[in-house]
Order: sequence, then C-alpha cells, then structure tokens
Amino acid sequence: MGKYVLKRLGYMLIVMVILSLLMFLVYTMIPYDRAVTEAEGFKAAYKGNPNAAALYEEKLTQLRRELGTDQNVFVRYLGWIGLGKINGKYNGIFQGNFGYSYTYDRPVIDVLKTPMVNTIFINIFATILGLGITIPLGIFCAVKRGSKRDTVIQIGTIIGYSIPSFIIAIIFIWFFAIILKWFPVSGMKTPGSNYTGWAELKDRLYYMLLPLIVMTFSSLGGMTRYVRASMTEALSLDCIRTARAKGLRERVVVYSHAFRNALIPIITLVIGWFLGIFSGSVVLENIFGLNGVGRLYINALNDKDFEVVLLLQMFYVAIGLIGNLVIDIAYGFADPRVRVNK
Amino acid sequence: MKKKALSLVLALSMVVMSLAACGGSGEETGSTTPSTESVPASVQEETPSTTPDETPTLENRVILGNITELGGNFRYPSWGGNTAGAADIDINNLTTGYSTMETNQGGAYVWNETAVKSHTETENEDGTYTVHIELNEGLTFSDGSPITAQNYLATPLAFSTEVAVGAGLSGMGGQSFVGFDDFHAYTGPGSEAGTKTFSGIRMLDDYTFEVTISSDFYPYYYAYTYAAFSPYPMGLFSGEGVTIQDDGEGCYLSDNFYEKNGEDYVVAQQMTDNRYDISKYPYSGPYVISEWDASTKQAVLTRNPEYKGNFEGQKPSIETIVYVWIIEETQLDQLKRGAVDVLSGITGGDLTKAALEVVDGTNFNEVHYQRAGYGKIQFDCDFGPTMFTEVRQAIAYLLDRTAFCQAFTGGYGVVVDGPYSPDFDMWRAVQDDIELIDYSYSPANAVKVLEEGGWIYNSKGEPFVAGASGVDSVRYKKLTEEEANALDIYGNDAGNKNYASVANTDGIEYKTVEINGEYYMPLAINWFGSQPNTVTDLLSTTLANSSDLAETGMVIRSTTGDFTTLTGNIHRDSTMGYLGTPVYGMYNLATGWNSAIYDYSWNWMSDPDWADNSVNKLIDPYDTVFPYDMSAEKLSYEDALAAADGKLGIDYLSFGMVYNAKTADEYNQWWMAYIERWNQLMPDIPLYSNYYYDVYNAKIENFETSPFFGPASAILYANVKGF
Repeated sequence: MGKYVLKRLGYMLIVMVILSLLMFLVYTMIPYDRAVTEAEGFKAAYKGNPNAAALYEEKLTQLRRELGTDQNVFVRYLGWIGLGKINGKYNGIFQGNFGYSYTYDRPVIDVLKTPMVNTIFINIFATILGLGITIPLGIFCAVKRGSKRDTVIQIGTIIGYSIPSFIIAIIFIWFFAIILKWFPVSGMKTPGSNYTGWAELKDRLYYMLLPLIVMTFSSLGGMTRYVRASMTEALSLDCIRTARAKGLRERVVVYSHAFRNALIPIITLVIGWFLGIFSGSVVLENIFGLNGVGRLYINALNDKDFEVVLLLQMFYVAIGLIGNLVIDIAYGFADPRVRVNK
Repeated sequence: MKKKALSLVLALSMVVMSLAACGGSGEETGSTTPSTESVPASVQEETPSTTPDETPTLENRVILGNITELGGNFRYPSWGGNTAGAADIDINNLTTGYSTMETNQGGAYVWNETAVKSHTETENEDGTYTVHIELNEGLTFSDGSPITAQNYLATPLAFSTEVAVGAGLSGMGGQSFVGFDDFHAYTGPGSEAGTKTFSGIRMLDDYTFEVTISSDFYPYYYAYTYAAFSPYPMGLFSGEGVTIQDDGEGCYLSDNFYEKNGEDYVVAQQMTDNRYDISKYPYSGPYVISEWDASTKQAVLTRNPEYKGNFEGQKPSIETIVYVWIIEETQLDQLKRGAVDVLSGITGGDLTKAALEVVDGTNFNEVHYQRAGYGKIQFDCDFGPTMFTEVRQAIAYLLDRTAFCQAFTGGYGVVVDGPYSPDFDMWRAVQDDIELIDYSYSPANAVKVLEEGGWIYNSKGEPFVAGASGVDSVRYKKLTEEEANALDIYGNDAGNKNYASVANTDGIEYKTVEINGEYYMPLAINWFGSQPNTVTDLLSTTLANSSDLAETGMVIRSTTGDFTTLTGNIHRDSTMGYLGTPVYGMYNLATGWNSAIYDYSWNWMSDPDWADNSVNKLIDPYDTVFPYDMSAEKLSYEDALAAADGKLGIDYLSFGMVYNAKTADEYNQWWMAYIERWNQLMPDIPLYSNYYYDVYNAKIENFETSPFFGPASAILYANVKGF
C-alpha cells in the first residue's frame, strides 16, 4: 500500500507540473499586460510634468521588468513557480510567494483566506445535511421501490434535479425572506453587530440558513436518485436473496449486506462532495452576497486577476488529485476485491 | 469492521472541519472596540428572531449600502497604480478631514476654513507661485493629539522620494513644487545626488507652512489645488519616529526616513503595511473606524468627538454608520426589510422604476441627480471614414439619441450635446450664450453633411446612387494624397489605401479602391463594442442595423469583445488585444467627472509622445495652422482668436482654458469656445446621461446628495429623526 501511495504521489507531482504549465500558458496567451494596467494608474501623477511621456515609459518598463511581462512565457512560468529569476530574484511559489492580487492589492494568499473559510463553513453544513438526507432517502426509495411514497419522491427529485439552483434560490428568497420574512434577504451577519462566541455563531447560522437550505435542496435530487439506483441494483443480487433465505432480519439485509454492495459508487460521490467543500458556488454566493471562493473566482476572472485564478486552479488540481487517491484507497476498504495492493 | 472505521473517519473529519471552519473566520477582523459577549442594545434589537420592518427602532445609527464591496484599503485607497474602490473611498472620506481644501456640493475645490485660518497666494517675479497657509490651532486627531503643519507636510514630502517609489507610489507627490527634482534625487545620508531639503515646501512654525509652485506648473487656472493637503498622523505614511524639520532653506525628513534593510527602505514597508491600518493610528475625519470585518465586508464607523467640522463647519449628527456590501438585485428588499437604510446610485429604467415604487414619502424617500458623465460613441479620428468630421456628424444625425436615451434609461436620463455636466458652474454661466449644433435625428441632415464632405461617389468613381446593391450600396470619398497616407504619424504605412471593412457577415467587403491613381474610400465603419453591454445591443439595433443608415449610404460593421480588447484597440496596445494595425474607428463606452476640475490640456496634441493621451487621436486642422506654444506669451481669448483669424483649434482652446485664463470669467469664455469646437468636431457622440437615485429610509432627515457630493459627504448634514 505504501509503495502504491508513493507511486501515485509521484504521478501526481508530474500531473501538477504539466497542468500548472498548461494553465499558465493559457492565461499568458490572453492578450493582456498587467504592467500596462498598473502603469495607467500613474498617468494622473505625471500629468502636467514636462517629461510626462518619458516618465510613463520609464514606469512601464520598470513594471514590466518587475512583473516579468517583458520575458518569454517559459521564463515567466519558472519565475512564477520559483525556479527562475524575475527581476533578478527567485520569488515564486517555492519561495512562499503565491502571487499578488492586483484587484485587492494584496498577496493572493491573504485574499483567499477569508473567502475560503466562509465557503468551507457553509459547505460543511450543506454536505452533512445533504448526505444525511439523501443516503437514507435513497435507501428508503430502493427498499420501497414502486410504492406510492417512492413515486412521489422520484417525482420530487426529478423536479429538484431539473431546476437550476439560481431559480431555486430566487424562489426561496422571495418566499422565505420576502413573503414570510423568516430569513434575511442576503448578507452574512447582522449589520453593525459585534457578537462573539455562541451569539456570533448563531447570527452567522441565521444568515447562512437560507443559502444552506437552497444548496441542500438543490443537491437532493441527484444524490437521492444515485443512492436509490445503486441500492436497487444491490438488492437484486443473489447474495441478498440468500441472506433473506437464511432468515436474516430485513434491517441487517439492507444495511449490512445491500448497502455494502452499493457503497463503491456512493463512495465516489461522497468523497467528491467532501472535496467540493473547498469550491464555492458562483451563483449562490452572488445571489446571497456571500464572501466565498466562487464569487472571488469569477470576479478574478472578470478582472483578469490571473494570479488569484491560477492559485485557485492549482489548489483545485491538488485537491482533485488527492481526492482521487483517497477514493481509490477507500474502494479497497469498502470492497477487498478492488484493493490495489495488499 | 473496516467499513465502520471508514464511516467513523468520515464522520470525524466532518466534525473537525466544521470546527476548523468556525474557528478561523475571525482572523482578518480588525476592531478597535473590545470584543465581548455583551451586545449593545441597538444591536440586540436586530437579533435573528426579529424582523426589522415589524419592529422598527429609531436609534442614532444609519446603515449605508453599496454594491461595491469594501476592500479594507481605507487609509489611502488610490495607492500607486491601483484603482480605488468606491466603497473604500467612501470610508476614507468619512474618516479623513481637515484638508486645506475640500470639494463642495457643486464639485468645486473650496478652502476649508475650519482647518485654515488664513491663506495668501503670491505670484513671484521668477514665474513661480507661492501659497502661504496658516492653520487653526486646536485641531486634533481622534485620539486628542494635536494636528500641526507637520501632519500636513508628511505626505507631500514622503511621497516625493525614492522611498515612496519603493512602496509602490509614483514618488511624484510634490512634483509641482520648486526643488522637487533635487529632493526626489536624494536617497538618504551619503547620497551623491540631490538635496536633503525640499526648497519649495517650507514649514514656518507649528501652524504655518507655505509651498511654492514651479514655473513649469504655473500659471495654471487650478494652481490653487496644488495647495490641497490632508493631515496624516506622523508615522502612518512617513515612517515611525520620522520628523519633519525646516532650518530655513526648506523642509526635510529626518535621516531615519531613509534607513535601509539591505536594498529596501524600511519605511517603504511600513508605508505599505499601514495602508490597511484600522486602529494603530488616529483619524482626522468625522468618523473613526471602530470595526472592520473582512469576512462579511462590513465596517462600523463611530462619530469622532474631536472633529470640528467640514469646510462649512458641519459636524455629523449620526452616531454610528454601518457600511455594508449589498447585492444589487435584492437591495430594495434589503431596504424594505430594514437591513440597510440608504441605497445610492440606483440607475437604469427597471431598477429606477422598482426603487420609485418603494418611495412613498412615509417610509422611504429619495433624492436624485443627473450623473456627471455620459455614455458615448467614441471615434478614432486619424484613419478610416471616422477621420472626417462630416462622417462623425452624419452618424450623430442618424442616431435618434432621444429614443435611445429613453430606451436605455427608461426615461430616467437626458441627452447632452457635449462633454459637460449641467451641474458644472461653467455650464450654468454660459448656457444662455453657447451655440451648439443641434444633432437631432435627421437622415436628411446626415446626407447633406456627407455630400458636403465629398462622400458622393460609388466604387467606380461615378456618382453615388441611393439604393444600389453590393459594394456600391455605400458612398465613397475621393481621398487627397495626405488623406490616403493617413496614420503616418504612428509609423504605420497601412494607411487608408488599404482600408477595408471587417466582420462582413453578409459576405460584402468594402475597401478602398484605386481608380486612375486616385483612392476612393468606402463609407463603411468598423465598430467595436464590449459585451455584455446593453448599450452595445441597443446601438446594434438602433444604429448599425437601421434602415436609415443603409438609405444614407453607410454601413457599420459590428465586432464585439471584452472591455480589455476595446481599450487595447483604443490605445493601440498590442498587449491588450490590439493586433498591430488600426481596424476600428468607433467604440462605445462611458466617461465621467469626480469633481468640477475641468482640464483637458495635453489631450488633443499631435506630438507622438502624447498620442496615448489623445484617446480620439484627433488633430484639429486649426491647431496645425495656429498651434499652442507653452513658452509663448499667454494671450487672452480675444487676442488669441484674433491672432488665429477666428479659428482656434481644440488643442489650443484646451490649453488656453487652464494656462491662459486667470479669472472665472476668462475661464468660462475659453470653456465655452472649447465646448463649441468640440461640438463641431464631434470626436464623441454623447448618448445619454442617466439620473442617479439615492433611496433612503424616511427616518433620515436632511439627506441631500449631488453628483459630486455622495452619501458619504451628505451624511454629515443628515440626522435621524429625533436626534
């Protein structure tokens, strides 16, 4: 197992390097020079100076040198990861410099920290709630397949699965926040409040509840149907018939035998969901005014704040690769037949 | 068993991550108030179990909403090359005061008599200009520490050094003052270049200082604005422990300002860090930041008891201002729910209508004003059909701007005819005398000006016949040799000889044709519009695809892309999507003014060094005959007009306006002539100037905003009912 993990980690490193180069190339191909944008901001300071044009050119040259935009793409790439010099210095990821956000005028790592915490905060609850509802519901539907209750849930999940989350969000805001006034319309905390401790958590949860409900509701359909399909297949296996013939209690048949057989495809989704707690929802964060990663990501793309985008994408690549490794290892725990290396 | 272990691990990881997420959110929260479990009564009334509109509370607190999120860059939002966020600027305005000059409701810079006891301006014999300022004693920062001349001179000195350059600034802060070059060149003890003292900045005593403006920057109509200084706590941007002294030859910073750590200046790092300071240094403005929550993008400001007033002596009445980031789509619902008290800058037909439905005079009120700016079509005037004034005028006649404005603004906007705001004092002064061409919708006038401009041929050099098909469906103009070789000033020999339409979705390419050695250019305009953009969509239907355009003998070819590519093509910058040869002659975008300072000098020059300043690349033929010379005698408007045989160009007028005029009347005279010339040349076509609506809770009284006096300024005059 250890050897296998080490081998996978080695592959992951190679994939990371290749993907980072590809992503860097993509963003470098976009016709945009950050130095020009930065230099534009100095024009006002030079206005009226008899040497304004020369000063501007000097500033632009200086910025291009500092940012490395006067170099070819491979030199810039090496500079970005910290294996090459930009402006005479090694100052890249390997040196702890994860880039600079020109929109927020701060290091990328500082810009990412708070939205990431906010996104994780809400996604953890959404994930727990989502899994807590969908797995039992899917099992129930599979066991009661064809019953009226199953039919009703199937219709409900199809509707839920088909409606985009932003439509659900708008409907829920209108109904729960505007008509019933149960929840705030948007935001993350009571304006002007300085709650601490438990009171702060309660306030945060109050503001998070509606987005949480929307996120959970939006995710119910797909997962429930997936668990139901997986369980239905498992319940039709010969071993289940044998178990029932042996007189095992139905509860034991369903949860110990059928669910175990249904677990492999579910594990993929469940771990995928947990990895998803790091990625924010562009739509929901914008609708509810949440300061999360999804919103930051789309804003960074629109603002051509590419160092933010690149770091986020590298983070997601790393998470994705780690996730795949975890899934493969988890398969082995769930089903010894697919264990990769004993 | 292993499955159970896996389940346990998953469950545990969920719990651990939940705790981690809950625990980390407070890291970036800055607060100057002690963090306690106790909650003020005002806050407790808005606990989650209450609905504000059902249980309204009148407390001396206002919640300002802004759809631009706060960034935490409150101390100096427009640092270096960065674009300042509107919300951060608001916070900065609310927490910075006692500037020697402040912007009034009309956008003009006025002396702040709360801070300035007296001021005198002197024209010196050597062509320089000295402003002598005596401060009022007794001004203090929010912590009670006195404000003296040192606080005012800290930034003009510090921001004129290489240390400031190291902190990401231009280092040109005091460039207009005598002795700047020498002071800027000085890099600290042992410096081989420059001088330690800044001779153009003098600190005469604790409350008196003067600055001398160099003859390179004077005469200048707005020269008084060079004396606009704000007080900053020592240390904030000038380095901890640094002092300012004057031994009679000019101010200088103490040696520790230039201290280095390796190659870098120590103070440069302090400056950079202090930009985000919330609580270390005091404030000079009407409010202090008592809490900043980076996680939720909220700032809480409390009244500064030390503040003595703005330029009119106005002190705030409202005790607490909560500044929050809101979502545009749901902002009115937040207003109705009581989650926010003031929404600013609502514009556009649908949003305005929705906002006005909320306004009932009982619960919610509004104040509105015309935006100081406008949406426009902008032309490149150095190549292609749009280099000809008649073509630009014809496009203006072909667009029903009234209908366009109605469609875009939903009736909440007006059409303007030039680059001005009706709120400008100069517009008010000349509006009865100014003579502007009326570009009301008129295809007949469009045809007339085109014919006058020589657009009378078809592609074979024969007379144009309306209704022809193919490449002859548009007019052609016979080019002079100079016109055919246009763009030479940019060193690009493509010129008009090879001009051709692009984005020919109908398969017809219109291009310059050569007939018997003479060149005929088609009236086919390449337009670049940004997307997503409602104005681009509307222009496409009302202008580019209108039947009037085709009947007039003109086509507009549409290309869309992102805004960076648009600006890249305007500035001809190959790093931003410009492909090396000018293609587009027409763009749509918007412009505006933050104050009534109106200076367009250096914007219409033919000098290639300044070409980048001239977004229109317009060279007025009048300026070629009678150009402006900075070193020549400054003529009055009448004398200049006489010397130019009545033909003053737009470049000359833009310089004369600010470098020749000395009084408001003289300035207005130049300004009127500038606007009239602009209106003749039509480098842009103003499309609409929309109204902005500020909607607010009726508990707020005396809240009056204007284009130059937004909520952050107007809130000083406002009060909550009963307070």
